[in-house]
Amino acid sequence: MTDSKKPVLEIRNIAKRFDTTQALDDVSLDMFPGEIHALLGENGAGKSTLIKIMTGVHQPDQGEIALDGRPIRIGNAVEAQAHGIAAIYQEPMIFPDLSVAENIFISHRDQGVVLRWGKMFRDAEAILAQLGVHLDVRQPARGLTLAAQQAVEIAKAISLKVRVLIMDEPTASLSVHEVTQLFKLAATLREQGVAILFISHRMEEVFEIADRITVLRDGKKISSTPRAGATAEGAIRDMVGRKVEDFFAKSQVRRGDLLLSARGLGKEGVFSDVSFDVYRGEVLGFAGLVGSRRTDVGLALFGVERADAGEITLDGRPVKLHSPDHALQVGIAYATEDRRALGLTMPMSITANISLPMLREYLSRLGLIKRAVEETAAESFRERLAIRAPSVRVEVARLSGGNQQKVMLSKWLNARPHLLILDEPTRGIDVSAKAEVHHMINDLAARGLGIILISSDLPEILAMSDRILVMREGRQMGIFTRAEATQEIILSAAMGQNSGARGSQ
Amino acid sequence: METIKRYLRPEQIRELSLVFLIVVTLIFFGTQIEGYYSGRTFNRITTTVAIIAVVAVGETLVILTRNYDLSVGSIVGFTAYFAGTQLANNNEMAPLAAILLAVGMGAIMGLINGVLVAYGRVPSIIVTLGTLAIFRALLVNYSGAKTVTTDSLPQWLLDLARANLFQVGEFDFRLMVGVALALVVIFQLVITYLPFGRRLYAIGSNPEAARTAGFPTQRIVMTAYVLCGMLSGLAGFMFLARFGNITVVAAQGMELSAIAAVVVGGVNVFGGSGTMIGALLGALMINTLEQSLIRWLQISEFWRDALLGLLILLAVATDAVIINRLRNLWARSGLQARPTSGAQAVEEAGHDA
Repeated sequence: MTDSKKPVLEIRNIAKRFDTTQALDDVSLDMFPGEIHALLGENGAGKSTLIKIMTGVHQPDQGEIALDGRPIRIGNAVEAQAHGIAAIYQEPMIFPDLSVAENIFISHRDQGVVLRWGKMFRDAEAILAQLGVHLDVRQPARGLTLAAQQAVEIAKAISLKVRVLIMDEPTASLSVHEVTQLFKLAATLREQGVAILFISHRMEEVFEIADRITVLRDGKKISSTPRAGATAEGAIRDMVGRKVEDFFAKSQVRRGDLLLSARGLGKEGVFSDVSFDVYRGEVLGFAGLVGSRRTDVGLALFGVERADAGEITLDGRPVKLHSPDHALQVGIAYATEDRRALGLTMPMSITANISLPMLREYLSRLGLIKRAVEETAAESFRERLAIRAPSVRVEVARLSGGNQQKVMLSKWLNARPHLLILDEPTRGIDVSAKAEVHHMINDLAARGLGIILISSDLPEILAMSDRILVMREGRQMGIFTRAEATQEIILSAAMGQNSGARGSQ
Repeated sequence: METIKRYLRPEQIRELSLVFLIVVTLIFFGTQIEGYYSGRTFNRITTTVAIIAVVAVGETLVILTRNYDLSVGSIVGFTAYFAGTQLANNNEMAPLAAILLAVGMGAIMGLINGVLVAYGRVPSIIVTLGTLAIFRALLVNYSGAKTVTTDSLPQWLLDLARANLFQVGEFDFRLMVGVALALVVIFQLVITYLPFGRRLYAIGSNPEAARTAGFPTQRIVMTAYVLCGMLSGLAGFMFLARFGNITVVAAQGMELSAIAAVVVGGVNVFGGSGTMIGALLGALMINTLEQSLIRWLQISEFWRDALLGLLILLAVATDAVIINRLRNLWARSGLQARPTSGAQAVEEAGHDA
């Protein structure tokens, strides 16, 4: 085996800044041959940025990367590959129309002038055999299971004589059985002296496979511990760490009548058995990590992705939510996470965006849009939510993120919902706009709206919610009241570590 | 059955069924039309197919990368006219020079398309729709609405169109048909055995992954357009040799025939799969049907475009339905192995079904 004392890859004091966010701040990391190094961190801790720097997608502002002790420059994916650094992702990058063997060898530069199919098939079979994987190398990659696609990606990495393999949440979409297979592959690579950087949100996996565990938080390296000295509790503490900043805490509103009640909500292969109640005047937080399927539950309530199991009652009457249009009619609105792609029509005016879902109400008898009425409504929202724009006729694309968010909220408030689902309402907006959004959530709850707040920002969820529902991979891990919830308890539940008290319904 | 499935992919089944359909068409019209199996029919179909097939080879290169070239008809028309006037003005010009002139002009036009699509990041359908009109307008302007006539052309060119490779009974195998077949075979080998060819498939199959893998995606797409232009230029020369009389509307609408041939031949319009052999079979199928229907029903040539359109729609529909069915059938068999032992693979396949 290779000398494991010398790191193959050293990341030295890397820093990277995007606009206002310091994504990475003086991060150093050593990777040794034959070691599986786990990287942990909350959403937004800087893991993805680090991977992108290692694979040449981004360039660091400061610091350097050294291979075998010599500094190298990684300008793009090809250079990363030439240095023996490869990455596999949750969604493998395969060519569906090409055969398995071709997918393994497509990146090779030394294929010669003419492709020798027979040799390529034999080589591919040899590599797959070395990994203990049974696949027909002649079949097109189309239709392979995700696990098989990842096996192909790993085989490709091996064929390229990879020395550092980054595995970015490779298990997120795999079944338990497939995860076991993947771990066998990882162990095989470790024996062959490959350094593996393993990223996962599943604590038990990390502790099963990793030799060393490094925690990132807010772009900084917090700790780096050999597995023997690490505990799940310690890792979670390091991940959470930060003090709750000054958040606009939700004021106590007297809980009103039961508004919506969901029982045993499920969607095949996405989420199952989700049950909760939302009362008027209440904010119900939805917490969970990437892949927890919180958003899918929200989309099901709005009728975008219909749930195929369970019951929903609204104001005591059972409802079937089969389309957003229908959801709006019964008083449910959903402000989306991805406002650029789904929430707002960027080239249209503030007015047009706000009136869009309720356009029917602004039609004259001839079926034409009554511009004046439309603009009055938009104007009132501009005042009420303090949207900073010269006029309601301005295109939404020209507003800042925070103001766009307010336009989107106006759009859905204009539908006069009883239940408002807010998906990541403060992502990517600055601190003051954030405070205004929080103030508004408070205000809306005080007016008797029921609110579901989906957020990855734990302090925000803790400050704003009356109760918090935690999800993990499509399953409900518990509902915690404001009094019993702490960052540690929520995160433990979200990562499947049930050390915290199991919440009451 | 498993062995069949291992070596015969759904895409190949499609090509075999196309051969079958062509045979059925020939047999059917043989019973309907008197003197159908004549040297004249054979000649008419093969020489038409020869020109379309050369264009279709170029179009296939482009479509494999998930792009289109709508300007091929205009390129054929322009190069035919361009080479024609040069030869008419200078009857002494060497044959090779005339061919190179047509091919070179096609290459320039392809390069314009390629640069705009690959480096300008303009959608290919827009770029080539634009150049379709521009190249045609250039031709009108260049020609001053005059016509290249047969009697102004050198004799060797007119002989070339009638030159035979060999003859079997009353069936003539024209040199032009031989050239087209050779090109189909050469480019089939290129896309099967050269790294460049495989990357065409890779780019069309998953452009995102192709970029991540670090392929020179832009250069490859541009090269596909240049090759397509060169092949269209050669087709333009063949067009000139065959018809002699070239007007400003020469080869107008040929892009439709070429794309129809490619699509009917099973090349995926979303890129990533298809073969040159398929494109040739597609051209053969379409032209056989076209020529036969014109003679059988005596339908006007104006219905020809409608027929082409119908065939394109049919081909896309079968692609969506039949090929996917076949793929599922293939996927459900044990061959769709997973990184598990055989027994587990079967068990899991059962779960998925």
